[in-house]
Formats: sequence, structure tokens, C-alpha cells
Amino acid sequence: MRIGVDNEVCEAHGQCSIVDMDLFPLDDDGYSAVGPDREVPEGEEDTARLGVDACPVRALKVLS
Amino acid sequence: MSVLDDLTTPSASADPFSVFRALRESDPVHWSEAHRAWLITRYDDVSAAFQNKAFSNDRVRPVLERKRQSGAESAATGVLGLMTGWMVVNDPPVHTRLRKLAAGAFKGQRIAAMDAMITRIVDEHLDAFLRGSGPQDLISEVAYPLPATVIATMLGAAPEDRDRFREWSDELALVAFGTGGAARADRHERALRGLREMESYFHTLIEKRRAEPGEDMLSALMAKEGDDRLTDDELVGMCALLLFAGHETTTNSIANSVLALLRHPDQLDRLRRDPALIGPAVEELLRFDGPIKVLNRWVVAETEVRGRTIRPGERVHLVLASANRDPEKFAAPDALDLGRSPNPHVAFGKGIHACIGAQLARMETRIAVARIVERLPGLALAEEPEWKDVLASRSMEKLVVTHS
Repeated sequence: MRIGVDNEVCEAHGQCSIVDMDLFPLDDDGYSAVGPDREVPEGEEDTARLGVDACPVRALKVLS
Repeated sequence: MSVLDDLTTPSASADPFSVFRALRESDPVHWSEAHRAWLITRYDDVSAAFQNKAFSNDRVRPVLERKRQSGAESAATGVLGLMTGWMVVNDPPVHTRLRKLAAGAFKGQRIAAMDAMITRIVDEHLDAFLRGSGPQDLISEVAYPLPATVIATMLGAAPEDRDRFREWSDELALVAFGTGGAARADRHERALRGLREMESYFHTLIEKRRAEPGEDMLSALMAKEGDDRLTDDELVGMCALLLFAGHETTTNSIANSVLALLRHPDQLDRLRRDPALIGPAVEELLRFDGPIKVLNRWVVAETEVRGRTIRPGERVHLVLASANRDPEKFAAPDALDLGRSPNPHVAFGKGIHACIGAQLARMETRIAVARIVERLPGLALAEEPEWKDVLASRSMEKLVVTHS
């Protein structure tokens, strides 16, 4: 499973990071530091989906 | 500028949104003499303020230091000392460390696993409510006891201890917000005694978990993160913070949501026809009439907001409930639209201090509202609610309803 963030859309709500701060790291200003394409470690898929769903502006996507 | 800016009058408490609208339109960064603070009311400014390092969360330490210098009694300074350790009133790097250590306990999967436990607690309260007839207060019977019971259960407290969590929560609020008055001084004394009991109760609970770790949230908070872990005093503080931050806010989320649905029967019908809408519905209910009106910040460096110079030592009120109704961010902001998407409300704040319990609060509110709507088909408002004249929270005295 791969996830990514569109940093043009991210507004630094930080809701993904509450779900899991390791899967969804933030930069110093609170914006997502997930990057455009990141692999989700095996076994963490459900958590990744919860974090993607928590984004209020849909900046995060499940890529595959 | 003659704009109404006292947010704690009875009329402003009953209808804060028209006060916010006037402020947003005429003076969105407004110095209020009534509050001795800046009122920031537009979405963009509130949003940017969460990232502005000139605004500090270190708000309790100065109060504590003043009290200590004036030789105030030790019990009050003891509780303030406990609160000084809370991550919510600290800046980085202290905040960063505490938040990292607490994060594991609030992970998405761990919260999602509480679904069945919360549903059971909601249903127990609704069973009792349904046995009653005639007008009943949905807050005192359901919305108020529910979050304290969830927190007590989550921390692994014995069922017979749960009522004490409610008392401690009230006592924490009294000490954190309450000042003045002879009658209140007496209550204050009793509250401080109660909180000393709370501290020793949590210390005992921690010792039990150390001897016998469980699946509960306290055991998760006690876990190591790298080479670091919370000390026992920090754990006691974290338990108290969980109760203080997670109780009244959740009560008000549930109660305000139910009121908003009763006032918008078309949206209530929509939710009844389409229960799967509960996720976005709760986001919209939080935006429309969430539990917190105002968050405070101390100014620690000179900064400028919308052309106004804000100076160190001043206070800033970030008016979340106004930002969430800003027409520049939300189309038709005064309309309740349970399907609204996207919905970037700031009911949980934003940035590094964004509510760590947001996922838990969402789940409690979703389950409670969904079960109330499903199990109480005849739900109707029995009297006009009265709003508490408080600055920080959006809180009704009672929500009296009938269900048949």
C-alpha cells in the first residue's frame, strides 16, 4: 500500500498525525511531511486508511 | 469602535454567532476592553495564529509564579503545579516530548478498538433514559455521565470508582476557571481536597498497572518511547488532563449536536434515512455549534495580524466558533448541511496543539448521536435551553427533551 499528500491542498490541520505520528509525520509548521509517494509498512494498512480519512481537506490519498 | 465585544453577557451566550458576525465584518482583529484581550474572529487569521510562534501556550506558569510570590495557600499551588505540567499549557520542546510520549495511547487503531465499549456505555445510559417518561434532561442523564465513564473505563478504573471521576472533573474545572466569592472560596477548598484524593488515586492505579499491565490506556501511556518515558507525576498529570479536556467538551459536543438536529428537522430526517452519514454529519455539527468557543494564547513576541500590532504580555482569544462560521471559508456558513464536504473546521484546533483526543471525541459523539437518533424516534425539545455565560465553552445548563 502506498500513500501520498498533495502539499498544495494540505492546510496543516494535523488530524492525520493524531491517528499515527510515525505514519503521518508533520514538518515544523504542522504541514504533512508524508511526501508525494510513501510505502506503508506491512500490517499498518488499516491505520493508514484511518489517517487518510481523517484529513478534512482530502490532501491525503491512498495511491495503491 | 462601538462593536459589541463582551462574549459573556446572557445575550451573547444565547446567540454568540451574531456577535461574531459583527466582529468579523467590522473589526476582525479587535481589542476588547471587556476581556482585556484581542478577539481574532476570521478563519484565516485563527488558522494562521495556530502556527504563529509569537503566540504561546505557556499560560499557567505565570499565574502559578504570581501565586507563589504572594504566598498563596499551598493546596491551590499544588493543583496549579500539576496543571503546569500539562502539554496543553507548554510550548516546544517540553510540549514536543510530552506529546510524543502520549501519542501512542491515542493511536487510531487503539481508539477504533474502543467502539464496542463506547457503544455499550452509550446504550446503558439510553436504557435508563428510556425507562423515564415525560421531560428529562438529556445532559444530566446521558451526555454528562457518558464521557467520564468512558475515560474511567479506558484508564482501567474499577466500575465502582467511576462516579468519582465526574466529581474530579468538576473540581478540576472549578480550580482551573473559578475565582472569587465567599461561597465559591468554600467550594474551592473542597475541590482542592478532592483533587488531592484524585492524585493519590491515580498514583495507586499506576502502581497496579506497573505490577500488572493491561490493554488499557494508562498501560499504553506508561510504555517507553525510545529511551524516554513519562514519570509517575507526569502520568498523574496526563490522567487528570485526559479527564479535564475530555469530559465537558464531549458532553457539549453531544448535547449541542442533538440540539442542532432538533432545530433542523430536515437534517435530522436526512440522518435517520441515511445513518451512514454520521461521519460527515458529526464534522458538520462540530463546525456548526462545537463545544469550544475560544482558545487562549499569551503573546511572547511582537507580531502583526491584519495590520494590527500585537505586543508581548497581551492576551489573544482565538474564536474558533467564529472561524467555523466565516463565509470566506464556508459556503452558507449559517446553514447546517450534514453532507458538507470538505469541512476543514477548527473545532479541535490546529497545528502542534490540535486536540490529541480528537479521534476519541469524534467516535464518542458519532456513537452517542447515532444511538440517540435511532433509539429515540420521538425525540422532541421540551423547553428552550439556557446557555451558560462562559467564555471558553459553548455549554447549555440543561437539554430537556421528551422521547415519546
